[in-house]
Amino acid sequence: MTCESVGKVLSLYFYGELSPAEEDQFEQHVHECAACARELERQRALSAQLDRRQAEAPSGLLEECRTDLMAAIQGGAGVPDGASASPWRLFLKALSHSFSGWSRFQQPVGALALLAIGFFAARMTTMKTPGIEAGLVVTPTDQSFSTVRSIQPNPSGGVQIAFDETNRRVVSGPMDDQRIRQLLLAATREDNPAVRVESMDLLKGRSRSGDVRDALLNAVAHDPNPGVRLKAIEGLKPLAAEPDVRKILAQVLLADDNSAVRMQVVDLLVEHRDDAIVGVLQDLMQKENNSYVRLKSEKALKEMNASLGTF
Amino acid sequence: MVQDVAEAAGARLTPQADSLIRAAQRGDQDAFEQLVRAYDQSVLRHAMNLLRSPEEARDVYQEVFLKVFRNLHTFRFDCSFHTWLYRIVTNVCLDHLRKRGVRKEEPAVVETGEGPVDRMENFEEGSAVANPERKLWNRQLQERIEESLQELTPRERMVFELRHYDGLRLKNIGEILGTTEDAAKNCLFRATQKMRSALGDFV
Repeated sequence: MTCESVGKVLSLYFYGELSPAEEDQFEQHVHECAACARELERQRALSAQLDRRQAEAPSGLLEECRTDLMAAIQGGAGVPDGASASPWRLFLKALSHSFSGWSRFQQPVGALALLAIGFFAARMTTMKTPGIEAGLVVTPTDQSFSTVRSIQPNPSGGVQIAFDETNRRVVSGPMDDQRIRQLLLAATREDNPAVRVESMDLLKGRSRSGDVRDALLNAVAHDPNPGVRLKAIEGLKPLAAEPDVRKILAQVLLADDNSAVRMQVVDLLVEHRDDAIVGVLQDLMQKENNSYVRLKSEKALKEMNASLGTF
Repeated sequence: MVQDVAEAAGARLTPQADSLIRAAQRGDQDAFEQLVRAYDQSVLRHAMNLLRSPEEARDVYQEVFLKVFRNLHTFRFDCSFHTWLYRIVTNVCLDHLRKRGVRKEEPAVVETGEGPVDRMENFEEGSAVANPERKLWNRQLQERIEESLQELTPRERMVFELRHYDGLRLKNIGEILGTTEDAAKNCLFRATQKMRSALGDFV
C-alpha cells in the first residue's frame, strides 16, 4: 500500500470495514510509515472527541414520547393505512356497536346480516360506471355498509331486522376544488377520528382560507381526540401571531388534558410573544406538571423579565 | 423477549421478534407497544445525537413510530425489521436535517428535563476543569467539531452517525439508505476527511 491508498481507507480501517488481507497490508504500511501512523493517531483522537459529544436524551423524555405515542394511536391518529377503507372492518364495527348487550343473538343475526350485504353488493356491481361531474370523477363502488337499527325475533323462529344501508361513492378531484374542500370540511365533523385526522392533515396547509381556519380552531378547542387536535395545531402554525387564534390557543394551553397538545401549543405561543401571554404562562405555572411545558414557559417568562408566578 | 428483539438489530429476526411483529400486524396493541419499547431508546438516542434538540427528537420519535404503526402491515420479512425501521428513521431524520436548510448554529445551551444544560460542560475532563487554558482549548475543540459536523451533507452526516454512534456496518447502512455498500464507504470517507481537515492542528 502507498501513503495515498492508506489515506483513502484509513477511516474504513478504523471502523473495521476492511477485509483481513487489506487490514494486514494497511498495518504493515503504518508500521513502517511515521506520517501515516500519525494520521491514524489523529483519527483515533478525533473519534475520542466525537464519543464525548454523544447526546443523552433528557430523563423523562422517553416516557413522555411513549405516552404521547400511545395517546395518539388510541386516539386514532395511527390508524393503519388502508384499514379505514376496509368495508369489513367498518361493517364489523357497526355490527359490534349495534349488538352491544345482544351477545346471545350476535352470531346468527350477524351471519344473516352478512348475507344481506352480499345481496346488496351483488346488486350494486351492475351499476359500476364511473361518471364525471364538472371536473370531479365520481365512481360508484360495490361496497355497501349496514348499521342494524332494530331486531325483532318472531314467534315462527325467524327474525326481522331493520338496518340502514349506506353505499360508498368515490370522488376524486384537486384539492383546490370547492366541492372537495366542502367534503373535507364535512369530514372534520365525522364520528370516526381517523377520518377527522386525515381531513385535518389535508386541510392544514390551507389555513389562510376562512372556512378551513374556522374548522382548525374549532377542532383544536373542541375535538375530543388528541390526534385531531395535534393536526389542527400544525395547521394553525402560520396563524400563531393573530390575536384571536392566540386567544383560543391560550385557552387550550390552560385547559387541555393532553400533554402532547400542551407542548405543541406552548411552542407556538412563545414563538410570538405579546403582553397577554405573560398572564397565561403565569397561570399555567401554577398547575402544569409536564416538565417540558414548564421549562418552556419558565424560559419565556424569564426572557420577558416576568415573574414565574402571580402574587 | 424485549432484549432479544433489540439484539436482532441488523441481523436475522429471532423467532420471538418475528412473532411479536406478526402479532402487531394483526392489530395486537400490546405486541406493538413491546415492539416500540424494544427499539425506541435507540431511535430517540439517534435523533438526539443527530439533531441535538429534545423538541426535534420528540417530533422524530412520534413521526417514526406513527409511520411504523400505519405501515407495519407492509413489512414482508424480506429484510431485518431493524433495517426496515431504520429506513423510516433515516428518512424522517434526513427530512428534519434538510428542513433546517441553511445550517444553523446549534445552541451551546440545550434544554433538558433537568433544565438548561451547557453542552460544552459535558466535555470538560475532571482534572481539566481547574485549568482555564485547558478548559478553553477543550471548548474551542468541541466548537470546531460541531462546525465540522455542520459542514457535512445530510447524507454524509447520516452515514457517519449510523457508523460511529449506532455502530452499524456499512453494508447495512447501504441497505437502510437504499444505496450500495461502496456508496456508503465513500460517504464515510468524505465525512471523516472533512472532519479531520477541519480540525487541523487540534488533534
